[in-house]
Amino acid sequence: MLTLSINGQVRDVDAPRDMPLLWVLRDQLNLVGTKYGCGIAQCGVCTVHVDGQPVRSCQLNVGDVGSRAVVTIEGVGNTPHGAKLQQAWIEAAVPQCGYCQAGQIMSATALLDSNPNPDDADIDAAMAGNLCRCGTYIRIRRAIKNAAARSV
Amino acid sequence: MKIILVTASFLAVIALGFAGWLFLGRDPMSFARGATVALAAYKGGDITGVPAGLVSADLVTRGKYLADAADCQVCHSAPGGARFAGGFVFTMPFGSIYSTNITPDKETGIGSYTDAQFLAAVHQGIRADGEHLYPAMPYTSYAMMTDADALAIKAYLFSLAPVHAPPRQDRLSWPYNQRGLMALWNVMFNPDERFRPDTRQSPEWNRGAYLAEAMGHCGECHTPRNLAFGLDNHRKYAGALTAGWRAYNITSNRKSGIGDWNDEDITLYLSTGYAKGHGAAAGPMGEAITNSLSTLAPDDVLALITYLRSIPAQASDVPSIVIMPAPASYKQGSKAASDPRGEKIFAGACVSCHGWTGVSSVSSYATLTGARAVNDPKAVNVAQTIINGVTRKIPGDKFAMPAFGDGYSDDDIAAVANYVTARFGAKGAQLTGRDVAALRKQSTQQPNSEETPHG
Repeated sequence: MLTLSINGQVRDVDAPRDMPLLWVLRDQLNLVGTKYGCGIAQCGVCTVHVDGQPVRSCQLNVGDVGSRAVVTIEGVGNTPHGAKLQQAWIEAAVPQCGYCQAGQIMSATALLDSNPNPDDADIDAAMAGNLCRCGTYIRIRRAIKNAAARSV
Repeated sequence: MKIILVTASFLAVIALGFAGWLFLGRDPMSFARGATVALAAYKGGDITGVPAGLVSADLVTRGKYLADAADCQVCHSAPGGARFAGGFVFTMPFGSIYSTNITPDKETGIGSYTDAQFLAAVHQGIRADGEHLYPAMPYTSYAMMTDADALAIKAYLFSLAPVHAPPRQDRLSWPYNQRGLMALWNVMFNPDERFRPDTRQSPEWNRGAYLAEAMGHCGECHTPRNLAFGLDNHRKYAGALTAGWRAYNITSNRKSGIGDWNDEDITLYLSTGYAKGHGAAAGPMGEAITNSLSTLAPDDVLALITYLRSIPAQASDVPSIVIMPAPASYKQGSKAASDPRGEKIFAGACVSCHGWTGVSSVSSYATLTGARAVNDPKAVNVAQTIINGVTRKIPGDKFAMPAFGDGYSDDDIAAVANYVTARFGAKGAQLTGRDVAALRKQSTQQPNSEETPHG
């Protein structure tokens, strides 16, 4: 039995230590906002925060999470930057099909947490690992800038 | 006339001296300079065979332990193929040879080998049909193995299911395709002598030496080879390029060897493929850990360490390892000079696990900071790891890195390897796409499928 901290709550899970965190989130805790994409940390769709860092949950063994706080798309709206970004996402109508968007918002939140005023190059560097097959990158960048402007 | 004679005798002396030097370089334990005795005359207990906990086990169980310790499986299995059925390719500058089927299949394996024939193959590199094996089969190391241990391995192999797998045709250029010439090479490089304990050393040291030399054949990758492809034990364990991967200096040199690793680090590395602050094993060393070293009993690992500690330090041309993480922002830290391609690929494909600092928030196995590979300015193992990925399964844990070889071009891989070594290591590499293409060739396990696209 492992004890995890997910979105501020203590959750006990019965899972093998080498099960990816993504499996635990989706199949055991029913937190299905985090999506499965490539399974090899190359698309960014499964991004969650672990200790504030954006992490691909498909590659993180649940046994390696330890006591570090996990935040998923279900909980990120309770953080200042997460809330601002979600609002900016709605205003800019960022999503198209929507599948990658949870991961995009998680990466964008981690970016603003570490750098509240990113320029284009900062955004590219932080978001490069989050792919969007609909090509919403222009709107993603705009929404991040709008949210950042609001947090100044 | 006189001048010619003098010159000729001078050259003869030089040639003999050189031959003698090569000859002296063949003994892997000469560095200890101790008095050796035959095993039967050794008073320090039995330093061959299985560890204490297994001595009363049945022959097949003991044979399995020894077969694992001798790491037969990796080379005698093709990736994805049946275990011990052969087909693993050794790619060398003068062609390719394939390992053979050592399952007990009577037609294509070793099912009809007598004990004497098996010992001839293991100790002398001679097949049942009298032909010579190539020293890709490390019989010059296995020559030190006792008959009892070799025959225990045979008993284990004969307990497995026979697999029908005909040998694949070697592809060697002349004169390397003349197996008979190996007889000459063997005179020079295979004394065909069983292990002789060193009476000045502890039993633990001797056990470690037996495990390292007769069984694990560490030197076959970690000791540089001379011009005749024999091991040059003048530079024992000083590191070498083998099968397209860098086998590192594992002498007691503090800077370029493992002199500054503590016993716990080495134990963890050998048993799990990872030691904090030193990075994770990949490539052939990863295989050796999964199939062989991780199966050793704890006392045997300690014996190996005792032996390793005694290897004279050899310097090699590697910079001091950087143990400071890189800055958290991609904007700071060393840039891989002019080519922004490496940073771009790193941002998209690598940073989510390895981080901009090199300290992974996903898994300590993925931490780059401090790893030998990223501090090697030739970036050989960095490039190979990117091409081939890592899959390491150890008891209770597993870790993996995807293989990027098919998704990225040679130029892309060179750019990101150069960036990684510059950002996290001591000195940025200068790999080109051509270097990467050559590395792919040396490490590939499917030389027949040349139509396979590579990026």
